[in-house]
Amino acid sequence: MLTIINRLILFSVIIIFAGCDKDFVKINTDPYAVTSIDPALLFAGAERSFNGAGWETENTIAQQFVNPFNAGATQGPNFNADIDNFNNGRWEASYTGTGASPATGGIKSMVQAITLLKGNTGSVNLLSMIRIWKAQAFMGLVDEYGDVPYFEAGKAYTDHVFYPKYDDDAAIYADLEKEIREATAALNPSGDYVSADLFFGKNAAVPITTASAQVAKWKKLGNSLLLRLGMRYSKLNPAKAQTLAAEAFAGGVMTSNADNVYVKYDGTLATNTANLGLINNNPRFYYAAEPFVNQLKSTNDPRTGFIVAKFADPNNPLSDPNPDYTIANQFGVPIGVISDALANPPYRGTRAGGYNYSQLNVKCVASQTAPTFWVTYAQTSLLLAEAAKRGWIAGGDAAAQTFYENGIQADMDSYTLYPNGAAISGAAKTTYLTDPAVAYNPANALQLINTQYWIANVTNGTEAWANFRRTGFPALSPNLANNNLSGGFIRRLSYPDYESSNNKTNYFAAVQAIGGTDNLTTRVFWDK
Amino acid sequence: MKKNRQPRHGSRLISLLLSFFLSFIFCSADAQTITGTVTGEENKPVNGATVTIKGTSKATLTNINGKYSITAANNDVIVISHVGYTTVALPVNGRSNISVNLLRGDQKDLDVVIVTALGIKRQERKLGYAATSVKTDELVTNRTINVGEALEGKVAGLNITPPAAGAGSSTQIRLRGQVGFAGSTNSPLLVINGLPMDQGARGVDGAGNQRDQGDNLQVVNPDDIESMTVLKGSTASALYGSRAAAGAIIITTKSGSKNSGIGIEYTSSYTAQTALNYMNQFQTMYGEGTGGLRPTSQASAAGNGQFGWGAKLDGAPTPIFDGTLQPYKAYENRLFDYLQTGTNFTNTLALSGGGAKGSFRVSFANTDAKGIEPRDEYKKKIFNLGLNQNITDKLKLSLNINWANEIQKNPPQVGTQGAGSVNFFTRLAPTIPTSALKNSAFNPGNGTEAQTSGFQGTVLNPYYANQAGQNWVNNRDRILGTATLRYDFTTWLYIQGRYNYNYSVSTNESRFPYGIGTSVPTNADGTYKGSYNVSTGKGTDVNADFLVGANKEFKKFSFEASFGGNTLRGEGNSLNESSSNFVVKDLYSIGNGNVKTESYGYGKSRVNSLYGLAEIGYNRLLYINFTGREDWFSVYNPLNNHVFYPSLSASFVFSELLPRLTWLNHGKLRLAGSKTGSANGVNTYEGLLNYGIAASNFNGQVTATIPSGNAPNGLLTPFKVDEKEIGLELRMFNNRVRVDVSAFKKVTTDQVLSVTLSNTSGYTNSKANLASLRNSGVETMIEVTPIRTAHFSWTSSLNNSYLSTKVLSISPGVNDFLLLYFNGTGNEFLGQIHYTAGLPMNQLYTRTYLRDAKGNIVVSPAGRLLATPDYKPIGSSIPKYTGGWTNYFTYKNLSLGVFIDYKFGGKVMSSTALNLLRQGLSKASLVGRRDGENGIVFPAINQGTGQLNTVAVTDLQGFYADYRNLQIGDPFVFKSDFIKLRNVSLAYNLTSLVNKASYLKFFKGLTISASVRNLAILHKDLPGLDPEAIQSSGDVRTGYENTSLPTTRSYNLSLNVKF
Repeated sequence: MLTIINRLILFSVIIIFAGCDKDFVKINTDPYAVTSIDPALLFAGAERSFNGAGWETENTIAQQFVNPFNAGATQGPNFNADIDNFNNGRWEASYTGTGASPATGGIKSMVQAITLLKGNTGSVNLLSMIRIWKAQAFMGLVDEYGDVPYFEAGKAYTDHVFYPKYDDDAAIYADLEKEIREATAALNPSGDYVSADLFFGKNAAVPITTASAQVAKWKKLGNSLLLRLGMRYSKLNPAKAQTLAAEAFAGGVMTSNADNVYVKYDGTLATNTANLGLINNNPRFYYAAEPFVNQLKSTNDPRTGFIVAKFADPNNPLSDPNPDYTIANQFGVPIGVISDALANPPYRGTRAGGYNYSQLNVKCVASQTAPTFWVTYAQTSLLLAEAAKRGWIAGGDAAAQTFYENGIQADMDSYTLYPNGAAISGAAKTTYLTDPAVAYNPANALQLINTQYWIANVTNGTEAWANFRRTGFPALSPNLANNNLSGGFIRRLSYPDYESSNNKTNYFAAVQAIGGTDNLTTRVFWDK
Repeated sequence: MKKNRQPRHGSRLISLLLSFFLSFIFCSADAQTITGTVTGEENKPVNGATVTIKGTSKATLTNINGKYSITAANNDVIVISHVGYTTVALPVNGRSNISVNLLRGDQKDLDVVIVTALGIKRQERKLGYAATSVKTDELVTNRTINVGEALEGKVAGLNITPPAAGAGSSTQIRLRGQVGFAGSTNSPLLVINGLPMDQGARGVDGAGNQRDQGDNLQVVNPDDIESMTVLKGSTASALYGSRAAAGAIIITTKSGSKNSGIGIEYTSSYTAQTALNYMNQFQTMYGEGTGGLRPTSQASAAGNGQFGWGAKLDGAPTPIFDGTLQPYKAYENRLFDYLQTGTNFTNTLALSGGGAKGSFRVSFANTDAKGIEPRDEYKKKIFNLGLNQNITDKLKLSLNINWANEIQKNPPQVGTQGAGSVNFFTRLAPTIPTSALKNSAFNPGNGTEAQTSGFQGTVLNPYYANQAGQNWVNNRDRILGTATLRYDFTTWLYIQGRYNYNYSVSTNESRFPYGIGTSVPTNADGTYKGSYNVSTGKGTDVNADFLVGANKEFKKFSFEASFGGNTLRGEGNSLNESSSNFVVKDLYSIGNGNVKTESYGYGKSRVNSLYGLAEIGYNRLLYINFTGREDWFSVYNPLNNHVFYPSLSASFVFSELLPRLTWLNHGKLRLAGSKTGSANGVNTYEGLLNYGIAASNFNGQVTATIPSGNAPNGLLTPFKVDEKEIGLELRMFNNRVRVDVSAFKKVTTDQVLSVTLSNTSGYTNSKANLASLRNSGVETMIEVTPIRTAHFSWTSSLNNSYLSTKVLSISPGVNDFLLLYFNGTGNEFLGQIHYTAGLPMNQLYTRTYLRDAKGNIVVSPAGRLLATPDYKPIGSSIPKYTGGWTNYFTYKNLSLGVFIDYKFGGKVMSSTALNLLRQGLSKASLVGRRDGENGIVFPAINQGTGQLNTVAVTDLQGFYADYRNLQIGDPFVFKSDFIKLRNVSLAYNLTSLVNKASYLKFFKGLTISASVRNLAILHKDLPGLDPEAIQSSGDVRTGYENTSLPTTRSYNLSLNVKF
């Protein structure tokens, strides 16, 4: 009782005499929160954020993958339908970061890191890497949506911009070009070493421990991205494409698989979440698409078994101890055909819980422990092949053939990094490269090169789809499930529906700017 | 070990109490008849005076000659009362004739004293604002697990909405509307024996697997409540400052009364609840399948279980998901086959005593309840102690301790897609029998959930979850302690100090088996899926206050003044640990998980306050009252961290001027105005950006993120509420008619709102001081006693409130605030909820049919639906009219209560209706495939021809799916109106009957009662559901219905014994 009286007296005294908000600042300071951070760690968190929406979006549009089931909400690119679920993946991964484990950041992490680095002259390499990687992130966004918020994006905390304006896609590309160029040039071999870098840092798949070696890798990455960016102009502005390709090549692009930008997953603390859905719910919904399987089959592609397989029970592919990898036995689900129809002739009917068609190899290329590749030597070499063929870089057809074959072989070599992957023998490569349908042929070089680009990007739907739109190769037939697209292909993804509410004014201004309709057939600026 | 010992404590207590009352048995006396005459002014006989035997229900009235007759024992006390006279109490003491001349009282029976802010007891006549005392006996006879639910429809202006969310769930309590946008605390402050506490509803805003985890009001046992006052306006609660911006409910628990001797009271109550089936909208013509075809294999059955677009039902053996052949017929009652009868068994034992210097009451209550969802259990133990003691003549101590332990197991998952039985049973084709769902829940091979539909991850079989051992348990303890010391310097001056201690601890454990919603039991690394989570949280709120009070009368003037201060110190922490990737199968523990995450949360805050009130009264005619309070908040920026709340009110007892109007017993006009505010919406430490270090390294590399979607704003200020009210109170015709009318206008400005940002800003929301809104309304209460005779009486009370809400502004240049985009949550389907300037609060939005300039619906050339590009407002979820009509009939010892309540003027949007339609499960989905129909020809203008549409769409599944894909909400918007026969109760007071036997005289009271709750819905608009089955008790999902649990009808039997 005395304690209570004492406390009462104490509190009364405190209130009346000691001021009514004494110590409040101290009380309102979280003793446990992390309120300062090494910006390199934010960058490391964000490096993995920028995947596409995945199998059911980009890879489906590019006819590598198909979910033939139409369960209402699972309508999407497979049936030429504009469904929010399938459009928002890349948007959310980029702008806010995804919930992948361990959690990733997004553009906001990189914007915050850049803010933290302001005035910090000792971190020029870290800053340059962030600028390059941020450009890579926005390039993917523009490629998929066209006009997007860029200059004002990610700045709710730093600059109180809550409702970013959408910027013109061409203007964004112009700035990305400048950013990549400037940042690549600013990389300094005797500058800071960014140990946290997931791609070329201390804990990378191939660890690098010095600033000079790290900077060499990032310069190649910067130039390879500049090459990618330049080649996007091939339809719109070939002269510009030529200039940029030449500039990038001269600057020094990737020259081997050791330059690849990728991460590996341990399968426990970190997994390739893009592949999770293939085995988790309704695995029997998911199949390899016919045009893609036919391409592999018709050329006896030694990569086939790593990419596709037939499983005894399509609804539980992982549990099959002996999947059928035989190339001749692979069949892809035809485009635009609904599941019920597949059960009957002329289609291949059912098998166990699903249909009698090939699925993605969830034990290898589509495994949860499969690495994620962003920028590779294979992509770069194939882009160079096209540049050489077009005469934008020196060497003509001879150089184009070399780049072409190097690109194919580099992609084949990357399969050793996949679970249950293996080296493809030199003999097998040679056989493949001499297959009449594969061997370099000046007459249809662009088709050959870009068909290979399509195969090499089977796990990078954003690139496969963008490159198809740019070049028109491989020669795919439009999905005729319905007449939603007037017989064409999906040329862009529509904006997330919530932007029309959450960022109304800017959203509607953007819709006007891209031609008045926010749909799947509007083209991004370079796809004219 | 500890748990096992508790019942023995209980039984020891009972035997102790038994020996107590046995000692009373031998002290009773014989009954005799007492007669007498009651006279009043000028010795005229008083007709209709009430004569009762104290402590019993025995009563009679005097006749026209003022005479009465009643049986009483020698040691009884006779109480005689009549309106306008001073009540007298006279011991029988051997007399057989007791006559009395009543004195014209100072209208003492009108000077009802009620407990107001800060626990100050004040005469009702002095109050210049609306305050309503709740009839606490109704809370006992109309018993609900959460006492909040029993208040529904009882008090004008108090809108109670109990969600259909299982045993131990919360209720939505809104007083005079929703004071702020979602995110602020919009329920009134609960003040329990002086201890202020937020309602604190948990798990009600619908994220993920929503489980309503109750609120703080349910730690109060209705049997312990002595008084409950609802302080409606913010004037009434201005003295509580920031926490009472939404009004306050003041609860005082019993602490015995002086000179009452020892008494024991025992109450036992049993309730059975059955689920109400309004789901009459399922179609029973077509079975599972798509395109008019039934499943042909196990695979197609398992893939299409969600669709009722199959063939016409014919009873022919047809494959279902488990591969068996079942007759192709409809099983309509699967949900109700799954649900069970809920029960609630509550026992309260109380011991009270009072001597010359003090009194006490101690009680223990045990509640054991089961919900209608299998495995939903709720257990509650409440121990309550109240003590008053005069330490000296001038120093008085009061002590109240309330300890509550609650164990909540598996509260149903409602309101969102995903887990939850309603989601499952309302989204499955009609031809799959319950027996198969129950008996074939497992995949025989690997123990995962057998796939029942194409929505494998989001339509989850509850039989699987139950059989696989999904489990969720929350165990909470809360101790509320109040110690008050009061020292009376003189009869007119006192000082009081009080210390309030509110301690709570909660442990939560949840187990999610590996096979739910998947056919693959393992992760990439070969470990088992599933998760295990255990968390504990502790919180302490300490309030210490002092109050100096004085009141004095000088001739015709009365003065009252108080001054006080309070400090609120809150501190809390939480520890959360989860694990997944299990190595040993079927073992869910932290130790077995290969991936573990943990987090520690901590918060500390303080509010210091100074306040005072002053009142001046003139001649019992006019009272003017002023209050002021200043709060300082630790959570705000020091530059702007304090607010002053003034209030001014007046009470004008005009009946004092009209003594000649004898029919007017009392008439009063009230006027009040106040400014209050609230710190609500701001949490501790919100002004700074926090970084998150990833729980696990990425291939050995530390990584960091900005985990919160909230962009911090360090410059927030408290929001403000400005309220004005006017009221009239009348009592007429010997107090047999009572009228109370209030009108109020309440404007809230500068709210702290979480603004939805474009996620391209990197963040999804940020808090800002924005927006103003207005709640205004009229509350009326009319109570009449049409019949009052010696044996029979009928009292009837009607309360109604009209509430008009309006969003006045959002922010400069912005007129609309999107609260939630339901379809964007990934778990819901339809529409949005907005605050839009110029429209009522909680405005539901949806896309609608596209219409031409003339208002005709337009379809595409192919006959398919088209939607407006924009979302359109379709009405507010908040009902405009709420109220209730209570009738009590008493005949001798029998009393009958009939209670009807209603709500009108709100809207609801039903995702259940949408899903039933697009999945071909509802009667509405038959349009286009009924006999003679071959596709749907939607009645609209065809865009291609410009004429009435004649194109039939044969792809019905595609046609109806467009409602979801295009987000057209028209067919799924309903009125949430209802009129319900809420409660009928019957109570029989057996005391006098039992007391006829001399050896049973020790019974001071014996009452049995029975009641039925939710007897009937007399009116509703929403098909297939009870309109009250729609809501969570939060503000975010108001007006949005998605897979809600059915409401229940409950049957209650209660016994109350006093010794």
